[in-house]
Amino acid sequence: MTGEPARDPVRGMALPETALGLAVVLAACVAGWQAAAIPVSPLYARIGPTVFPMIGAALLGLLGLLLMVQGMRGGWQDPAEAEVALDWRALGLVGAGLGANVALIGPLGFTLASTVMFTLIAAGFGSRRPWRDAPIGFALALGTFFGFARALGVNIGMGPFERALIAALGI
Amino acid sequence: MLNRRHFLMRTTALATLAALPVAAQSAPAVDIFIPANPGGGWDQTGRLMEKVLLSEGLISGATVTNVGGAGGTVGLPQFAGQFSGNGNALMLGGMVMVGAIIANNSPVSLADVTPIARLTGESLALVVPAASPFQTVADFVAALKADAGAVPVAGGSAGGSDHILLGLIGKTVGVPATSMNYIPYAGGGEALAALLGNQVAAGISGYGEFADQVAAGTLRLLATSAGERQEGIDGPTLRESGVDVELFNWRACFGPPNLTPEAKAGLVAMVEAMATSDAWAQECAARNWTRILMTGDEFEAFIAEDIARITDILRDLGLAT
Amino acid sequence: MDALALLAHGFSVALTPANLMWCLLGCTLGTMIGVLPGIGPALTIALLLPITFQVPPEASFILFAGIYYGAMYGGSTTSILLNTPGESATVVTALEGNRMARSGRAGAALATSAIGSFIAGTIGTLGVAFVAPYVVAVALRVDAAGYFALMVLCFVMVSAVLGSSATRGLTSLALGLMIGMVGIDVQTGQPRFTFGEVALLDGIDVLIVAVGLFAVGETLHMAARRYAGRDEVLPLSGSLYMTRAEWRRSWKPWLRGTAIGFPIGAMPAGGAEIPTFLSYATERRLSRHPEEFGTTGAIEGVAGPEAANNASAAGVMVPLLTLGLPTSATAAILLSAFQSYGLNPGPLLMQTEPDLVWGLIASLLIANVALVFLNLPMIGLWVRLLRVPAPLLYGGILVFATVGTYGISRSPLDLVLLYAMGVIGLLMRRFDFPTAPVIIGAILGPIAEVQFRRALMISNGDWTVFVTSGASALFLMLALVAFVAPTLIGMWRRRKVAGTSRDG
Repeated sequence: MTGEPARDPVRGMALPETALGLAVVLAACVAGWQAAAIPVSPLYARIGPTVFPMIGAALLGLLGLLLMVQGMRGGWQDPAEAEVALDWRALGLVGAGLGANVALIGPLGFTLASTVMFTLIAAGFGSRRPWRDAPIGFALALGTFFGFARALGVNIGMGPFERALIAALGI
Repeated sequence: MLNRRHFLMRTTALATLAALPVAAQSAPAVDIFIPANPGGGWDQTGRLMEKVLLSEGLISGATVTNVGGAGGTVGLPQFAGQFSGNGNALMLGGMVMVGAIIANNSPVSLADVTPIARLTGESLALVVPAASPFQTVADFVAALKADAGAVPVAGGSAGGSDHILLGLIGKTVGVPATSMNYIPYAGGGEALAALLGNQVAAGISGYGEFADQVAAGTLRLLATSAGERQEGIDGPTLRESGVDVELFNWRACFGPPNLTPEAKAGLVAMVEAMATSDAWAQECAARNWTRILMTGDEFEAFIAEDIARITDILRDLGLAT
Repeated sequence: MDALALLAHGFSVALTPANLMWCLLGCTLGTMIGVLPGIGPALTIALLLPITFQVPPEASFILFAGIYYGAMYGGSTTSILLNTPGESATVVTALEGNRMARSGRAGAALATSAIGSFIAGTIGTLGVAFVAPYVVAVALRVDAAGYFALMVLCFVMVSAVLGSSATRGLTSLALGLMIGMVGIDVQTGQPRFTFGEVALLDGIDVLIVAVGLFAVGETLHMAARRYAGRDEVLPLSGSLYMTRAEWRRSWKPWLRGTAIGFPIGAMPAGGAEIPTFLSYATERRLSRHPEEFGTTGAIEGVAGPEAANNASAAGVMVPLLTLGLPTSATAAILLSAFQSYGLNPGPLLMQTEPDLVWGLIASLLIANVALVFLNLPMIGLWVRLLRVPAPLLYGGILVFATVGTYGISRSPLDLVLLYAMGVIGLLMRRFDFPTAPVIIGAILGPIAEVQFRRALMISNGDWTVFVTSGASALFLMLALVAFVAPTLIGMWRRRKVAGTSRDG
């Protein structure tokens, strides 16, 4: 546990860090509220189910306050790191890939949803050739699906596509 | 997470695929739905069913789906929704699910699916470490009555079958469920270790978990929860020991809701043919599973009775409202 | 020696061409599933159980032994190369291993982890063969109070992973503790922090937290700073394998890791994660190169935890073979494999089935040798994984992360949680919060709580149990030493430096 690096006294309040501290405090409040809502059963118990959650919530709240104070005193983020602008386009594409996977994996099945996710993530990492990426993702996902189905007998997310394929191939 | 369109798309896809073999009057392809993660008891039962149904020529193929979590109450609503009216779908389940539905206040219950057949079961065992002063159930009960808090009893999760059995014993002999010192352990090994290390006074689990230790003499079997003595188990039942309690940890299979009487009869006939086959008997014997086949109305009455009894005891334990 | 003769007999059972083929198959399969995030040996062996109805017992146990140890070897690979541990036991490996990879020493990190695994696995397996009955007698005496004290020791040592700021490190730890509390309270059956969501009743799988924070978080982080270029992985420098200096720095951590991992693995509630945390903390304190920890990557921080991980895997075999007591998911599955052959895996197993027990021990030793020969040449291949273009590499990682979570549980909520953890992981990386304490908190917190409450229930409310229980007193003493020792050593060093003005 080393101490905090010396602060540059001219730095004012760091908004992101303060907000982060506030978020931690809010999370602690939600946790405390939820801990209070835990039903205490009449079962024989020396230490009830709420004691540790309460301690945890209090600890989290205290740490959140400390983070807020540090944030208001100028924050802690490495200036070099703070200068790196987030690549929102890349993040957006990767995020869209994840969202697509959540939305599609039920209705379309593992293979197709994974192909969409793979292609979007590849695009997020700067690939400009979706027509190369999609087949690679498709082959990877299909191979994985049948690898699991055949070798281990686990259905990792069968959708209409996989069903049709199995029916067509008669396997 | 399951929107209507997804649901419709899946069921139509299923219906078209499932309809083909049925129309050809050959063995159908079935969906086996396991509301637990791969590897556990229901999963093993479901996969064994797939194997025997195939080898007996009762089905042409099976799709096994696992949706695990919360004693089966995560998978149950999905099964009831997705397969409603589908005469070629089966779901695994059992007594654990009965308890979980009550304790978790599950909006979908076993009344929302169609009971097909009870397949296998295991009685629970009450054991003590070899060095324990308790020689019989009477000794154990006497200690409970004297000071229940000083008799820590190890078992599986709170509200599970082991806890229910202790609750039933307490209820029968007049010790309030809430005063008993039940120590829940996750997983069999840890509870067994606590028993072998003399850290608890007694333990309750499926007989199979303790069988080898009892045979080796490191644990002493006080009684089993079976209705009558079973072959290969050298010990009295609770009932013989003067505690009128019987409990079976059963596993069964269910059909989806809204089945036509013909579809239901078809599923019952199929499972019955499987469960009376030699292959099934052999496979169950290899796994030490007791076959307790029960189908139709008798099985429905059995479930209703078990639900009432378990609800009662869970209410006493403060786990049901 | 009796045991030696039995072991030789075991080798004669295991060393047939057909069995060696099973061994190789198991090792390959095990390494593969170890590499895939979220899929562990327990699940794989469970799903391969039906094979026991088709092949003789020796063959299937050799296959399972290969899978079991193989997964332990494979788990570190993605931790080191991609900073995405596939299971919770290799989270610690990612801390230093990935730093090493970034400074061009990926080959050395992989080599020290493979050789350390080999040494720990071999010593551990020999321990199973020769000292198991003594170890298990001691391990069984660790009661609930003892486990709680062990957790206290862990929490004291955990400061080693808290990173540059105590406040942020503790925030990470507290976050992990809260995540660990989600789900049904084991003791009373009441739901906690589930927000009425049935799918949360079983709690949040630590794997989801680990794969989310690391694999998904790393992907988002890399995507967000694609052009920043500061996190570029350096090309391989120096020899592919370890240099002489790296050997010198590795052998002691290997042995210490083994000494920590084996006994904790043998404890009924020990597990594989706790020894890796403890080993990392120990190495960090003992290292002569503390400046490399968390910067360029210290090889001790890979060698120790990897050895501890494998030694604990061997330790799990101790109660399984001597008492028929399964203390991990994998051991429970192996137990049911014994049962499907009609064997009685109780306390008499070693006497009634010596062929099988010694055959299994011999298989574990053979698997270890096979794995080190399989893995060392693979290092060259694995390192090339870093040359896969980032778009395809990260796309692939997320496809496999999906398999390990949604693919097994089929719960859409798991997928959402996985990605939410990824976003938290991104924020934590951006704002310099260490991620490992989240995993540590999520693992240790529930154990500490359960054991604490269980100890008080078993003792019927008697608080003195924490000092009267032998195991508890021992661990609390160790915790006190670990707490006080750094201060004392620091004072002593300062005095020495002041006295001789020589650089320590």
